[in-house]
Amino acid sequence: MTTPLEQALPTTRRGFLQLGLMGTATLALGSTVATLTGCTSPLEKNSEYKFLQPNDREFFAALIPAVLNKGFPGELSHDAAIKRTLLALDDLIYTLQYHNRIQMRQLFDALSFAPIRIAAGASWASWKDMSPKQIDDFLVGWRDSMIPQKRMGYVALSKLIGISWYSQPESFVSTGYPGPPTKIPTPVAGKISVSSMSAENS
Amino acid sequence: MAKKVFEEIRGITDPILEGISNGWITLDAGEYTENATLEADVAIIGTGAGGGTTAEILAKAGLKVLLIEEGPLKSTNDFKMDERQAYKDLYQENAGRMNKDGSMSILQGRCVGGTTVINWTSSFRTPDQTLQYWGDKFSTKGVSKEEMAPWFAKMEERLNIAPWAFPANENNAVLSRGADALDIPWKVIPRNVAGCWNLGYCGTGCPTNAKQSMLVTTIPSAMDEGSQLLYSARAERLIMDDKKVTGIEVTALDKSYRPTGVKVTVKATTVVLAAGGINGPAMMLRSKAPDPKGLVGKRTFFHPTIFSFASFENEINPYYGAPQSIYSDHYQWDTVDGPVGYKLEVPPLHPGLTSVLLMGHGEAQFDEMNKLPNLSSMIALLRDGFNEDSQGGAIELADDGSAIIDYPINDYLWEGVKRTHLSMAELQFAAGAKAVRPAHTEAKWETSWEDSKAAINKLDYSASRALVGSAHVMGGMTMGEDLDQCVVGSDGKYHYLDNLYVIDGSVFPTSIGANPQLSIYGMSCRLATGLAEKLTGKKLS
Repeated sequence: MTTPLEQALPTTRRGFLQLGLMGTATLALGSTVATLTGCTSPLEKNSEYKFLQPNDREFFAALIPAVLNKGFPGELSHDAAIKRTLLALDDLIYTLQYHNRIQMRQLFDALSFAPIRIAAGASWASWKDMSPKQIDDFLVGWRDSMIPQKRMGYVALSKLIGISWYSQPESFVSTGYPGPPTKIPTPVAGKISVSSMSAENS
Repeated sequence: MAKKVFEEIRGITDPILEGISNGWITLDAGEYTENATLEADVAIIGTGAGGGTTAEILAKAGLKVLLIEEGPLKSTNDFKMDERQAYKDLYQENAGRMNKDGSMSILQGRCVGGTTVINWTSSFRTPDQTLQYWGDKFSTKGVSKEEMAPWFAKMEERLNIAPWAFPANENNAVLSRGADALDIPWKVIPRNVAGCWNLGYCGTGCPTNAKQSMLVTTIPSAMDEGSQLLYSARAERLIMDDKKVTGIEVTALDKSYRPTGVKVTVKATTVVLAAGGINGPAMMLRSKAPDPKGLVGKRTFFHPTIFSFASFENEINPYYGAPQSIYSDHYQWDTVDGPVGYKLEVPPLHPGLTSVLLMGHGEAQFDEMNKLPNLSSMIALLRDGFNEDSQGGAIELADDGSAIIDYPINDYLWEGVKRTHLSMAELQFAAGAKAVRPAHTEAKWETSWEDSKAAINKLDYSASRALVGSAHVMGGMTMGEDLDQCVVGSDGKYHYLDNLYVIDGSVFPTSIGANPQLSIYGMSCRLATGLAEKLTGKKLS
């Protein structure tokens, strides 16, 4: 078995050759440099996150309010909404298959590394210190870029954040969605789910 | 302010829980603590439209069947109409599956019952033109319109398929109203439902058992006959001895879909591959199965799906009501093999998925999300695979053996994407839309058809600008007798192995040109009946 960290790191030669997210050798090299020089931050021991490292979380914590705008934080406090979205993002990215998961790892590593951020059209400042305007400029720059990999990065980031937040019931207040009906399960032999049942059988 | 139509759903039985309680043999590979071996007459890899249909037919013919499913076993009590839970439990890659260059998002099921658990119930017979094309170009035998008709009829009866008898919800009515205004023909969609509540949550697992998915029809029936179901179990590779498959090496998966380290060996006299057009070919490639022309995984098709949004003065409530009930084939068959044709339909809009489809950020996207009750969307499904410039995708393997879907959207398809934006905008304005925006990062909301047309004509059509999605996975294991193009015979047998049959949508030589589930049911019913007759020596049909 491999640990989540081993699965996350882009250490294979093939993974490096496949790297195309930034579309330039500089950026590709950069993400590897970021990883090799320890400018990324591995998952903490016993972390409740399976994929997102502290640097990634700092990046998303800055990006989430910028992407969601007034759709955020819904009925939650700012911190609770960030946490909820981060955990949903973590679950989602962890479930992606190898190719896409590696692409995400390389994207996050690159964007957490200041020289790469500059080359990628973002600010030298760390994500948590960027103004909303700087973050929006970065997003717009990637969205409208001539480089397909930047556009892909924009679409991936905005989609991941969107589905992670707008699937949360506490966001419904900002969309006018009245929500689904409440489902009351009917127990069978005293059980309400297959997992509770099969656990007993085994 | 939009209101809930139903506050509460209760008193619904759970046929899977009841079955287990009555003694079904369901095995969670994730709970195995040591390697194990299982045996059966027939092992079926995959439990979706192909595997489910096949299991019932083979089990009723008296064969000992073992179903193998990569995903978890979830059932009616688990279906809470919650996007978060549904994507995680029931969809491949948490609904985040994409092609290699990220230009197409792919919704596909991963659970017992496969995509039939999460599809929107639209049920069309394979169009005559498609069947004709297969015969002409791939030398398929026995799948002409006349020969397929009884198989479709049989599955329509089995799954209660009939045109939706209730009025369309507002979202779908936009399509019929616009079409009427433009004098474009439209029709009511046949659905596989029984006692449907008209809720709108087909995509998160039917909470009322109305959808006649494999989970509540053929799988329970196969289980009642004594079949076994092994879930959280990924068929890793075939074990082969010369031209014979002797077994399957299976990887047990934990709740996070990661290998537990336990291996299960399944031994079977006959193996049926029914894992769909992505995972099926990937399993064949991992197995290094004989494939002298290198055709496995080629010609995968997706009906690349294009979106257009419209906002209305009145409430649409696009999340409620039968998600798909109206369609138009007006732009589908001008030519069979010329510029790409497309089917027009409507998608349901629940907030999580909608935020993805709108493909934006910041204040502009908030303004759109904020008006969700007044939002409508239309979709166009491009019929890929009917032209030299539409060869579909290729399945490749990543370092860990998982599938990579190499399907770049080329100029042939982009030309079609632009035409769909134009026809959808025209229809939406004709239906009374206040403003329309095609799902494209450069597109703005326009308030008239003339302005919209001019704006669409200026858009740059390239990857990660126009939204391309897909909910239909077809091809990759092409059927036909022409060995230069095909790997599966017209009877479903893999051309290069004696006892491997492929029975699902992966055998389609092109896309279908309609939502594929009934095409898969009909083809599977035909292939599985033939296989059951061969294995038992009894006449069934």
